[in-house]
Amino acid sequence: MTDSRIGRRYAQALFTTALKYDVVNSVEDDLNGISSLLENDPEFKHFLIAPYTSRDEKAKILDRLFSDRITALTMQVLRIMLEKGREGDIPSVREEFIKLRRTQEGVVFATVTSAEMLDNDQKKQIVEKLAKVLSKKIEADFKIEPNLLGGVKVAYGNYVLDGTVRGALSKLRDKLRHDLLKQS
Amino acid sequence: MADHKQDSGSGIPYPIKIVIGIVFIALGYFLSKTEIKIAIIEYNPGITVAMIGVLLIMFPLVQIFFTKPLGDAIRERNANLERTFTEAEQLRADMTTLRADYERRLAETEASAREQIQNQIKEAQNLRQSLMTEAADKADELVKKAQQEIEAERDRLINDIRVHVVDLTLAATEKMIGANMDSDKNRKLVADFIQDLEVAK
Repeated sequence: MTDSRIGRRYAQALFTTALKYDVVNSVEDDLNGISSLLENDPEFKHFLIAPYTSRDEKAKILDRLFSDRITALTMQVLRIMLEKGREGDIPSVREEFIKLRRTQEGVVFATVTSAEMLDNDQKKQIVEKLAKVLSKKIEADFKIEPNLLGGVKVAYGNYVLDGTVRGALSKLRDKLRHDLLKQS
Repeated sequence: MADHKQDSGSGIPYPIKIVIGIVFIALGYFLSKTEIKIAIIEYNPGITVAMIGVLLIMFPLVQIFFTKPLGDAIRERNANLERTFTEAEQLRADMTTLRADYERRLAETEASAREQIQNQIKEAQNLRQSLMTEAADKADELVKKAQQEIEAERDRLINDIRVHVVDLTLAATEKMIGANMDSDKNRKLVADFIQDLEVAK
């Protein structure tokens, strides 16, 4: 079980150092790659988290796997986390690192959900329009939810811009119920 | 009463009478020695005088030892009778008073009892009236409450039906939209969304 507070501490230290040496993007790419590997390769995840594998053994394998692929800073952090038995918090460190990087760069992260896959042109239009009206750089994650029926929904920060058919129907249902309650 | 004290009415005290009697007896004793013969009747004046003396002695004695106690007894009896009558009269008067008092108290008691009964009847009537009013109020309140509950339940059911109708309509609409939705329409929706996008800051 990961602890976001621990992940935030590691991420804060890592981000500060990466910023100092101007390797923020490289470190983020490293973390993305490792997290992706953890998500997509259950064997690797099992090996990394397994308690019966010694830390030295884990460190050796991680060295062999990543030492020539990731930055020295990321490698150093991985070793420290292994020593402290915090290898399960790597995804959390990645999330917190990205948040810190976005805050540092003034980037707004938006989740765009649609009923069908959007083409690149539509994705680009949405990101550009958001960037324009927010006057900030936008990073977006695109998801597909067929039960939205149609349209698109954008969520960022504490806000949701709902342009889906499902959302319109929900609003209509709420309005009708509200009117009914007012009548009674 | 002088006759009670000394004599029977002659005015001469008894001791004088007795002395006179004794004198007559003594005189009779002396005269008894001479006899007078009148015709064929022998008359001894001594005996006569002595008898007068005896009578004079006997009358006071009779009066002292018989007549007087008898008179006293009669007077005492009369006094007792008078006292008895007086007491009887007193008792009668007391009884009359007691009876009057009893009758008065009885009348008062009856009046009081009647008043109490009337009060109790009045109180019972008031209580009955009060209970009836209270029961009627309660019944009215229950009826009113029941009517309100019925109305509330009816409104709730009507509202539930309306909500259900809304849900059914929207579910049908959703199915219809889902069935009629295609990529072109979706693209149009996305384009409209991008066109109308106004961001909350």
